[in-house]
Amino acid sequence: MLQLQNLRASVNDKSILNGLNLNIKAGEVHAIMGPNGSGKSTLANILSGKNGYEVTGNLKYEGKNLQDIPIEERAQKGIFLAFQYPLEIPGVNTTNFLKTSLNTIRKAKGQKELDTLSLLKLIKDKASELNIDEKFLSRQLNVGFSGGEKKKNEILQMKLLEPKLAILDETDSGLDIDALRIVADGVNSHKNENNAFLIITHYQRLLDYIKPDFIHVLSNGKIVKTGCADLGQELEKTGYENFK
Amino acid sequence: MEELFNIDLDKISNSSNKEALDRKKNLELFFKKGLPNKKDESWKFTDFSLIINKNFKKIKNNHDFSFDEKIELIRDFDHNFIILVNGLLNSFDISFEDKSKVNIEKLNSLDDFKNQSSSNLNYLNKALSLGGFKIEIKENYKCKKPIIIYNYYSANLENKIINNSNKIKLNQNTELTLIEYNVDENSKFLKNTFETVEIAKDSVLKSISIQKSKSKGYFYKNISGSQGYNSNYQNYILTSGLRFNRVEIEMSLEKENSNCFIMSGLSLGEGEHQEIKTRINHLAPNCKSYQKIKNVLEKDSNGIYQGKIYVKDVAQKTDAYQLSKALILDDLAEFNAKPELEIYADDVKCSHGSTSGSIDKDAVHYLMTRGIQFTEAKKLLINGFLNEIFENMSEQKIKTFLEKSIEGQINGI
Repeated sequence: MLQLQNLRASVNDKSILNGLNLNIKAGEVHAIMGPNGSGKSTLANILSGKNGYEVTGNLKYEGKNLQDIPIEERAQKGIFLAFQYPLEIPGVNTTNFLKTSLNTIRKAKGQKELDTLSLLKLIKDKASELNIDEKFLSRQLNVGFSGGEKKKNEILQMKLLEPKLAILDETDSGLDIDALRIVADGVNSHKNENNAFLIITHYQRLLDYIKPDFIHVLSNGKIVKTGCADLGQELEKTGYENFK
Repeated sequence: MEELFNIDLDKISNSSNKEALDRKKNLELFFKKGLPNKKDESWKFTDFSLIINKNFKKIKNNHDFSFDEKIELIRDFDHNFIILVNGLLNSFDISFEDKSKVNIEKLNSLDDFKNQSSSNLNYLNKALSLGGFKIEIKENYKCKKPIIIYNYYSANLENKIINNSNKIKLNQNTELTLIEYNVDENSKFLKNTFETVEIAKDSVLKSISIQKSKSKGYFYKNISGSQGYNSNYQNYILTSGLRFNRVEIEMSLEKENSNCFIMSGLSLGEGEHQEIKTRINHLAPNCKSYQKIKNVLEKDSNGIYQGKIYVKDVAQKTDAYQLSKALILDDLAEFNAKPELEIYADDVKCSHGSTSGSIDKDAVHYLMTRGIQFTEAKKLLINGFLNEIFENMSEQKIKTFLEKSIEGQINGI
């Protein structure tokens, strides 16, 4: 699904990613762990198409050159980024935004757009699975939401948009234990053999709930070690010192 | 100045010789100073004389009120209505109300027409106004449905000036929602309107002005009013689409516990110029005023907000706030704000703020990562920016109608 070969990225001549290689297949869950400043969020941003980076390397998504795909088309083709810091957008109603997003993506996929009533029902159902209070849906997008509510809202969008490749950028940070479990359940219920996850995290905690197939350690813009789920436990004990 | 105008006072039928003389006197006074220009501090951002000279010559006063257009009423919510043609009362229907409590008539005499404006346009209005409408709500009556004022214009207004005057009076313990809806013909004309508003004790007036479609007209409107004890005035200015518009509001909070809200959300396109100038006089203690002015500016458009808060020495515990926000989408667009506070009381809370900036790139990016195209994302954000002013509007159907109208205006961008 996603193949990254020798991915290098820099901002204002400061290099952040230095030849990263990663291969993600459908049905797999990958976790990326690493110390602050190792380039984790940059990787997520580049996959979502954020401007402002000098990017080189061979980046393929479903066989196509990722860099040729505009931001909104990446989303339409199934790439989803759950932001580390979801933006507050004043004036934009949450439900309205979800409706626009979902129908645009459905249209791009060649599916029929949903009418308002079915949309509202779908949004409400998915929101209740995540324990999101309905009143949030009528509020302005993320405005005045707590950290945890914002993160849940990201997972709600993921569940609605049903992406093929979901990238979760530190979705666990700022979540209490209950919210963490709800978010993890949200991910696990979405998981199937046709989609894949890239989970970026600092802590083993989230990986207790979402079992990764692979854990990669990112340091200085490169993957320096790849292992199975046990690697997370090891990192929890030893820290990143050995990888710097 | 007289070359710019080609005014014929003889065409106006006067009720008395005194009226004829007054008109003549007022016209002379107007010609003495002419149209306001930049030298006048209150017109420093709008050189009205220059703008009108550029676009008009030999302006005639309008005497034609013939009208045969089909009236299309808004269907989104039940309402009473008034039809104005070229500013004059044509007909009305207040079937939702107790007719003994709501009085609507043609405003004929300007004798008791008190407004606080010293603007030269006031002389012009007094010289040429043929009246307009008068609404009075009798004591202890709350209107069940809003009244929409449909402003129609006939097709033959090219290069003409309309002068009209309206009067809105709410007696004690009354409520009215008034929506002014401009349905425009495509001719280039000038409109000079003076309106007085009187809101007595415990009464609520909500006033909304909105434009149906783009207009080539040049509009000036002066609203001056007074508020009694525990009264509430809300004015929403949503007249996007006008080529030129200047609204001046002077509200006097004369008695305790009165509140005044002025909200505006405008989206300005190519060649458009809109100005809102307010003066809120806090003349009694414990009054509140709140102003929020939002502009989206495209191409070479020009938006202006001049807001003044005056607090008299006795007006302790005044709570006054004004904020203007501009979203500037083009290097050629311009937004000017001039907030003024004049405070003579010592225990007050008065603040003002003004921000302008371009569209939030991170917000656009966020929306695009959800599959939404750039132009659509931009529209969502502009819409959101403007819709914020309806936050506290309680009538859901009216709110939905206004949001829909704003969306339509934005789709025109």
